[in-house]
Amino acid sequence: MIAIPYLAALTTYFSYGLLFAFGQIRDFFRKILDWSGSNNLQGYAPICVAHEDFYVRRLYLRIQDCFGRPITSAPDAWFDVVERYSNDNNKTLKRTTNISRCLNLGSYNYLGFAAADEYCTPRVIESLRKYSPSTCSSRVDAGTTALHNELEKCVADFVGKPAAIVFGMGYVTNSAILPVLIGKGGLIISDSLNHNSIVNGARGSGATIRVFQHNTPSHLEEVLREQLAEGQPRTHRPWKKIMVIVEGIYSMEGDLCKLPEIIAICKKYKAYIYLDEAHSIGAVGKTGKGVCELLGVDTADVDIMMGTFTKSFGSCGGYIAGSKELIQYLKYTCPAHLYATSISPPAAEQIKSSIKVILGEDGSNRGPQKLAQIRENSNFFRSELQKMGFEVIGDDDSPVVPIMLYNPAKIPAFSRECLKQNVAVVMVAFPATPLLLARVRVCISASHTKEDLVKALKVFDQVGDLVGIKYFPAEPDKEQEEDKIVKLD
Amino acid sequence: MYVKAVPPTDLNRNTEWFTYPGVWTTYMLMVFMSWLIVLSLFGCSPGMAWTIVHLAHFLITYHFFHWKKGTPFADDQGIYNGLTWWEQIENGKQLTRNRKFLTVVPVVLYLIASHTTDYQNPMLFFNTLAVFVLVVAKFPHMHKVRIFGINADH
Repeated sequence: MIAIPYLAALTTYFSYGLLFAFGQIRDFFRKILDWSGSNNLQGYAPICVAHEDFYVRRLYLRIQDCFGRPITSAPDAWFDVVERYSNDNNKTLKRTTNISRCLNLGSYNYLGFAAADEYCTPRVIESLRKYSPSTCSSRVDAGTTALHNELEKCVADFVGKPAAIVFGMGYVTNSAILPVLIGKGGLIISDSLNHNSIVNGARGSGATIRVFQHNTPSHLEEVLREQLAEGQPRTHRPWKKIMVIVEGIYSMEGDLCKLPEIIAICKKYKAYIYLDEAHSIGAVGKTGKGVCELLGVDTADVDIMMGTFTKSFGSCGGYIAGSKELIQYLKYTCPAHLYATSISPPAAEQIKSSIKVILGEDGSNRGPQKLAQIRENSNFFRSELQKMGFEVIGDDDSPVVPIMLYNPAKIPAFSRECLKQNVAVVMVAFPATPLLLARVRVCISASHTKEDLVKALKVFDQVGDLVGIKYFPAEPDKEQEEDKIVKLD
Repeated sequence: MYVKAVPPTDLNRNTEWFTYPGVWTTYMLMVFMSWLIVLSLFGCSPGMAWTIVHLAHFLITYHFFHWKKGTPFADDQGIYNGLTWWEQIENGKQLTRNRKFLTVVPVVLYLIASHTTDYQNPMLFFNTLAVFVLVVAKFPHMHKVRIFGINADH
């Protein structure tokens, strides 16, 4: 539930309307100016039909310098950002050789494995020497090494399921698995704020898709009951299969899924549940085992658990964990397993080593320390921002901290002002989020020290005042209150 | 004063912004502001200004709601390419609150414009034509109807 100040909503609509109007006027004049010149299409159809690139050309390109900044070091707590300049009002950006060292508040580096690690990196280099960077083959041909089998067993044990299968890319895991699991005649009920990979996979499967209101189990029950009563479209036959797809932590909102209630509803109506733990595996829970551990849900109740290794494990790739029969079936049918190149061996070794560190099996205490650090960091950062008067959404314990901006002009303002003070943040705007709800998304890492967070808070305080995003009243300092109480006596 | 924003279940990002709070007020405020601007720029009578606002509103809303098809971004992969914005909102469900509001606005503007010009011709003729076209275009029976093939897909 996001509480928008009414005036901010009105001004945001007006700003977008103005930007849209200016874009249309510019397009109109461009059309007139290009009417006289001949087009060099030579009979071919144009690439963009109608105005489907309107948003990119007229809105995104204006603030292009806030997105896609190139970096030249590992994405640790501090990293090097390449400076860019533009001669034609941000239509094209040119890189310079200047580098600024910035505080990294944007990378998905939840446990700090993104930079060189004392346990993981030597092992990764060793596996690079032994197995070379790529297996040069798909899993079924010659791409399954001993490392891949060990990794799948390791992941299955970590997640708490009988078996697991690992793919080379996280996005592909969702978009290639969903068409295999469910097809025409099936029903997919997905949360309204699910990631694009799930939407793509669901569209590619051919099943009927229904959406329920974000994180609202009562609406999910309503949709389920309605669909069960109606059956398939037109024929009204019973559905072949019903699957409910939710995420552990939603990457743009930072809030946790209401998993116990949703599982209770799915059990009642006999629907399968697919949990995408891309952001929560390794980052939440007492021993890092994800949102099931945090919310006290038995992993046997979740039918299919999916996750990625990009966020907490510092690697790349995705996994699916489930029953032995499910994984066996996937190994026969999933195109990402049969035809796509298997996960790179050094990446697989990084995942195995980081799981060992998290579980404490490397003989040191660093894993539990990292988990405690990220929880402390996220709670500290979130509460301090809320005290300053920012509108921060998301639940406690979640390492994703989005700060609401609303107005489109505040997006580049906040980004550029923060970069001037050497803090690099990620902006999220339409169309990744709804039109009104543009935000700054801060990702807290276990490798951020207290000083880093305090510096970030100071910069945010300053820039927040400048840009005007402190929509809630700030809480007064405790020291001032105590002084007042003393004076009355 | 704060309002609650409930994320809607509409997956079409071209139209889901219309379900958030504050849209109706912004729309009405923008129409009123444009009347003030026309009045100050042209220095005409209030009635003439309302007629100009009404006709400009007709042209703009007809073009964007009932003529342009598709969405302004490419990651929809063209699934809405045959539908105008009016046909896309709320997944094609007819007679919702938003649609009723958008149908009432041109009628209210027509009443204001014709009242303030004392129902004189030729303004009355153009105003009536505009409101007739707009209201007919918003009928539930006109969903996905292309008269004489105008604006149909290739």
